[in-house]
Amino acid sequence: MTMISVAEFRAEVRAWLAEHVPAEPLPSWTDQAGFDQHRTWERTLFEGGYAAVDWPEEYGGRGAGLQHTIAFAEEYYRARAPERVNMGGLYLLGPVLMQYGTEEQRRRWIPDLLSCRTIWCQGFSEPGSGSDLASLRTRAVRDGDHYVVNGQKIWTSMGGFADWIFALVRTDPDAAKERKHAGITFLCIDLRTPGVEVRPLAMVDGTEGFAEVFFTDVHVPVENVVGEVDQGWKVAMSTLGFERGAVFGDHAKFSNDVAALAGLVAVRGLAEDSLALDELGRVLVETEVYRANVYRLAALAEAGGNLDSTASINKLYWTEMQHDIFATGLRLMAEDGAVVGDLAGLAGVDAVTADAWRDWHHRYWYARAAMIFGGTSEIQRNIISERVLGLPMEPRRS
Amino acid sequence: MTETLDIDRGELEQVTGDLLARHCDVAHLRDRLEAGGAHAPALWWRLAETGLVSALVPAEFGGAGLEPAHLPGVLHATGYHALPEPLLETAVLAVTLLAAFPDHPDADARLGGIAEGSLLATVRFGDADRHVAFAADAHLVLDVAPDGAVTAYAADQLEVVPAAGVDPLRPVAAVIPHGAGDLLGTSPDVAAHVRDLAVAGAACQLAGAARRLLDLTVEYVADRHQFGRPVGSFQAVKHKIADVAVGVDMAEAAALGAFGAEDAHDRARRAASAKAYAGQAADRANVEALQLHGGIGFTWEHHLHVWLKRTMSLTAAHGTPAAHRRTLARDLLARIGEEE
Repeated sequence: MTMISVAEFRAEVRAWLAEHVPAEPLPSWTDQAGFDQHRTWERTLFEGGYAAVDWPEEYGGRGAGLQHTIAFAEEYYRARAPERVNMGGLYLLGPVLMQYGTEEQRRRWIPDLLSCRTIWCQGFSEPGSGSDLASLRTRAVRDGDHYVVNGQKIWTSMGGFADWIFALVRTDPDAAKERKHAGITFLCIDLRTPGVEVRPLAMVDGTEGFAEVFFTDVHVPVENVVGEVDQGWKVAMSTLGFERGAVFGDHAKFSNDVAALAGLVAVRGLAEDSLALDELGRVLVETEVYRANVYRLAALAEAGGNLDSTASINKLYWTEMQHDIFATGLRLMAEDGAVVGDLAGLAGVDAVTADAWRDWHHRYWYARAAMIFGGTSEIQRNIISERVLGLPMEPRRS
Repeated sequence: MTETLDIDRGELEQVTGDLLARHCDVAHLRDRLEAGGAHAPALWWRLAETGLVSALVPAEFGGAGLEPAHLPGVLHATGYHALPEPLLETAVLAVTLLAAFPDHPDADARLGGIAEGSLLATVRFGDADRHVAFAADAHLVLDVAPDGAVTAYAADQLEVVPAAGVDPLRPVAAVIPHGAGDLLGTSPDVAAHVRDLAVAGAACQLAGAARRLLDLTVEYVADRHQFGRPVGSFQAVKHKIADVAVGVDMAEAAALGAFGAEDAHDRARRAASAKAYAGQAADRANVEALQLHGGIGFTWEHHLHVWLKRTMSLTAAHGTPAAHRRTLARDLLARIGEEE
């Protein structure tokens, strides 16, 4: 990638997207048929060499620097290309494997992950372990060359569509008596293994994809452990770091959402309404600020800086911003805000606005979920105050 | 002293921070409050000596010829230390205006005077500003009209009516010119550029002042004990502070980023966004800082009020958050209309 400038790369990406992005927006991925179409699109993206431009070339990326990566995302959303659906694989497991995985594991899982042949989901939360993740109880007992896993994971995003799960399991229950973060292992499990049962969990808006996953005497080869046995907490924290930290370029997605919001303001005839202008202006400001933050973090990372302490601030900010965008849309639409996906009867509705509104409620609920997953907003506030600002710890009952 | 500025942005920020920590500390601010005047010639000379006042003055007029993009960290530091001097007004806004008309017969005297530290200037955006910061101390007021006409008024060509500004260390006044003044020229581009610089510069100062409110509050709640433990260990307190910290951090990202635009439209959008957000974030910092300082924060004796008032003064200056939000929203609606 050092051979080609950001401007040249941008032009290349723009041309490729113009040729390949489906003319009609894909149906929502929240049912199996829609999801399959997104999977096909991911395959196209992979074949074009654009599945993960920032990854090293040896793993199928383009070895792009951050400026190129940002340019790619800006072009991707500018072209209104389909939403990415293998987030667990691309944004979480892939980077984790590059950091903690063995060479064999990378060769084995990364190509299929990149082409979306394999969809990955995250198995962290359990019914009794949400914010208190380290209290997790799913057990994995070593038996020769494999582990026998028993337990349950819940609130698994994409669980209903996924092929594999990366899960946290307890391999040393005795260690937990000393310190509950000890004795946890990061384990990859094929969901087609006998003893695995994935039960769909309808989401609050009725859409599919969410699931709970049950493990009953599930045999998992020991070579599926990522990082060291009993040291999975470190790997899990790295995963959460990726989940909370900046996705370089996703500001462009939110800018599209705000443009759609402006479309809603226009069709509602509120373009001269000062309250509506204030609301639109506020979320526009929020996305512009987020854009500035992405550029700043990219510059910091390129200068060799450490972004660890920025992850919780980033997560708290973007999830609140995202919620603000979609909640504002619902408010501005007044009585139509309570009608899902339908703009019929409103004059002057263009295709982009109608398309945006079709998914608006789903995106709204997703925004609500984002304030919970990856560590709730309250957990982020604890981290920011204690670990970033150094405030005294809250006394914790042991 | 211009060679001291042949350094990068980070160093410049460091130099400014160190200088202000030493010479614009709380004792200095107290001293100015008691004296009833913000500007102190000794401090201004020090800023000039270090090369901060002449940083943007073109080399041919005796300055370092740096770009505004070198200065956001410096402006942030002026907010952090509540500098009671017109550094933004003189060294950034007035210099940029004067340097835009280099053929004017007085360009040399004026820019040279600023560079050597003997001339204080401020800027009035004629259509918007009823209150001009540091006008009472300025030897020169530059008026920027809506059509882009830039007019210079010497102190004896105008009447300055001080207002009871909330922040005595950032004094404001009404400016009433007598007569026509000295027309430097007319350029809508220059006017727009300087307007954006004022907006972005104020955003940097606001972010800096809000950062100070955050730091003061973090320090206080770690120290103050109630119920046998630091009040900063209570989650109700921590979560308020965390929200303030997010606001301050993101305000800094936006304010510092406002100087990196690629074209005039992007520049205006970044500046307005930064100012709107910094105003919001500073307001939050202001409210929580006083709340979390409890009774002590309400006393004149404690210095918290210096930054409470500075954030209020700056939030009102160069466009309120609400005004910028509406401008940005109108701009977006117009662009959407064009695309269709």
